Amino acid sequence: MSAQTPYEPKIVAFLCKWCSSAGSDLAGVSRIQYPANATPITVACSGGVSPQFVLSAFHKGADGVLVSGCHIGDCHYMEGNFHARRKLYLVKELLEFTGVEPDRFRMSWVSAAEGAKFAQVVRDFVEDLRPLGPQDKLKAERP
Amino acid sequence: MEAILDKKNLNDWIAALDGWDAYAPALEDGVWSYRPASANAALAHPNTVQPPKGFAFPQREIFFRFEQIKGEAPRLTPVQPEPGRRVVFGVRPCDGRAVPRMDRVFADHVDDGYYRARRKDLAYVGLACHKPQSRHCFCKSVGGSPVSTEGLDVLLTDLGERYFALAVTDVGKALMQAGGALFAKAGASERKAVEQAHAAAVAQPQRGVADAAAAPAALKAGFDSPLWEELAQGCIGCGICTFLCPTCHCFDINDEVTGAAPLKGQRVRTWDTCQFPDFTMHSSGHNPRDTLGSRLRQRVSHKFRYFHENFGMLQCTGCGRCVSQCPVGIDIVQVVNRVAGSI
Amino acid sequence: MIDLGALHTQVRDILETGEVRAVVGWRRGSRGMLAEPVTIATPEEAETLVWDPTCFHNLSLTLVEERKKPSWRPGKPIAVVAKGCDARSLTVLMQENCFRRDEVYVIGVSCAGSGVLDERKLAQRLPGVEPDSAAFDGDAFVCATAGGEDRIPARELMADRCLECRDAHPKLNNVVFGEAQPRAFDPPFAALARFEQEQVGVAERWQFWQRQFERCIRCFACRSVCPMCYCEECVVDSINMAVGADTTAAEKANRIRWIERSASRADNIGYHMTRALHLAGRCIDCAECERVCPVNIPLRLLNNKLEREARVAFGYEPGASIDLPALVASFRDDDPNHFIR
Repeated sequence: MSAQTPYEPKIVAFLCKWCSSAGSDLAGVSRIQYPANATPITVACSGGVSPQFVLSAFHKGADGVLVSGCHIGDCHYMEGNFHARRKLYLVKELLEFTGVEPDRFRMSWVSAAEGAKFAQVVRDFVEDLRPLGPQDKLKAERP
Repeated sequence: MEAILDKKNLNDWIAALDGWDAYAPALEDGVWSYRPASANAALAHPNTVQPPKGFAFPQREIFFRFEQIKGEAPRLTPVQPEPGRRVVFGVRPCDGRAVPRMDRVFADHVDDGYYRARRKDLAYVGLACHKPQSRHCFCKSVGGSPVSTEGLDVLLTDLGERYFALAVTDVGKALMQAGGALFAKAGASERKAVEQAHAAAVAQPQRGVADAAAAPAALKAGFDSPLWEELAQGCIGCGICTFLCPTCHCFDINDEVTGAAPLKGQRVRTWDTCQFPDFTMHSSGHNPRDTLGSRLRQRVSHKFRYFHENFGMLQCTGCGRCVSQCPVGIDIVQVVNRVAGSI
Repeated sequence: MIDLGALHTQVRDILETGEVRAVVGWRRGSRGMLAEPVTIATPEEAETLVWDPTCFHNLSLTLVEERKKPSWRPGKPIAVVAKGCDARSLTVLMQENCFRRDEVYVIGVSCAGSGVLDERKLAQRLPGVEPDSAAFDGDAFVCATAGGEDRIPARELMADRCLECRDAHPKLNNVVFGEAQPRAFDPPFAALARFEQEQVGVAERWQFWQRQFERCIRCFACRSVCPMCYCEECVVDSINMAVGADTTAAEKANRIRWIERSASRADNIGYHMTRALHLAGRCIDCAECERVCPVNIPLRLLNNKLEREARVAFGYEPGASIDLPALVASFRDDDPNHFIR
């Protein structure tokens, strides 16, 4: 990385279609300023985010991975976010156990009405990732 | 060229090898493996878990990188092995004997430039065995010896406080000459001592393949033997036996894609093994070697028959790794003996 | 102690009466002291079965492999000699509908008071010695060589998995040999706790695991030996992609490959983490993966870590019952939520 371009963390954000993705849209149309570091990937439900997606994002060079879904009780599919919470808790624990900085993986519940919260989640994540520097533990060395 | 090296001078010799990167067995996390030689390397190892084959034939090797911009010709950037001379210390004679076998494979009908580039800058300093490194050793029965010099550049023999060093090749001679005054002239008494040590080593009892000379023909005759499936009964289909083998050399070539627009990535060679079901899997889904027995037969027949048919020598050097590390204890010696004995 | 004669009689009986079509057990192997898995189908072979501290293998694997063969036909049950851990894995396999309960006849062998030994511990305790046989003798293992016998306290040689065993007495069984007496070795997760005390910070943990993962040679022995790794296609393989004459280079290049076959650090980590996560709530700690690893990667730590998390955070115990829902297909309202913003 050259001295001219300061480090900007790359975030892969898995956002559920019904809540968090809509929340991010709201942040946009409300013209809330927040960092552009997150690449959103809309998924049908946070419960459909396989741990493999998270590992794969890190493998391909993400500095941080965010999974965001509907609040507990608000899942469009009734219980998808309960499943997400359980599965991804294990992912979080395993990452930490093997020595990956815990701040690199994050989950949030953001409803379609919470544009401001979405912006804040991303803002916080970027600030927490910045001091960690580029993620090269799980990243494949490929040109 | 023969000379005597005090054991306490071993590290000075390694340090004196200007222009060479030295490697020696080291114990890390309970595993003996070849590592860059430390300042206090000592050759006090049983055989390493992995043979030194990766020095010339690494498990993963990038051939070239590619990039395809739409409408343009593909851009290929070759990747060459990093230059630099490397010398590996403490190679056991069985692993030494693997070297000429691998050389034959990679210089046969195709001259493998990647292998050659690494191999030409590699030297092996062997260490004779005084006794079998494990109960699974069987080098003698496959034409080897615990004091074989085949494939080595220098053979060291442990004489207590000193090594008796024998230069086998010109490269070995140069390595010893680089040690200069660290080496003392070998006298008659040392020659006698090394002869005795070698004779004693060769006299150590070993198990073995009953009739290695007859094995190629016997395995050919036993191709359809029901014993293959029976002997493979416990096999779990992992790659330990082949990945730890000093002479297994099968590989796969894959394109590791790192970008879609433009399409880019790298072409990579990785070890592969006949023990994995997808090794012979056709794209139609048909698999000509779809049973554990047929895969065991392939491995054993390659060592004791096909290689012999191709190159006039057995491929197996009797290191015993495939036996000692097999999760279920499949024993290549017993497999050969049983199939050959059933003919 | 297990009465091997009684076990032989039982095996002979169920084969003679045709109650089962085959019995999976261990017999004397050809490699030193090691017992090896065997499938027998005639009563005469019953005598060849052995039970000693080298009966490491989780034989439910044999059943899984048998099931995968095109020649598999439903029919009379197959009997499996199962230690406590093996019986737990059979329970999980039934929970996942790999087998119905009536397809498997479980011949339980209780390790209460025994347990299998750890070859690595043995190599450290008796360097350079490779015994011809190993046997239980009260609270010791007796290792015999041509030179004589070594009697070593069981505690010193026993595999960690056995020291920490949760159910040495197989709960799932049709018949069980050996007593149900309680054991007094280590509490569950003792090795994991030791590791956590030794490697405290994120940086230390990473240093440790980096070294382990870099050593991996991708021989896939851990996967091959695992009865729970029964997927037809693993994330590291891509054998099911149909390639035809009209498959374009771009299609081939762009097929989904989560993890490459390359033995590089990142790909190795991807593989081992994926495996650990796939085993969460399913791994019953037979620790065969760790035993067979030729380069000593402490895989049991990864699996134990997730097993403990499942127990602490979700009150889940793999292999406890056939009727249990899968860990990741179930949830509780009060699952941890503190880590979510």
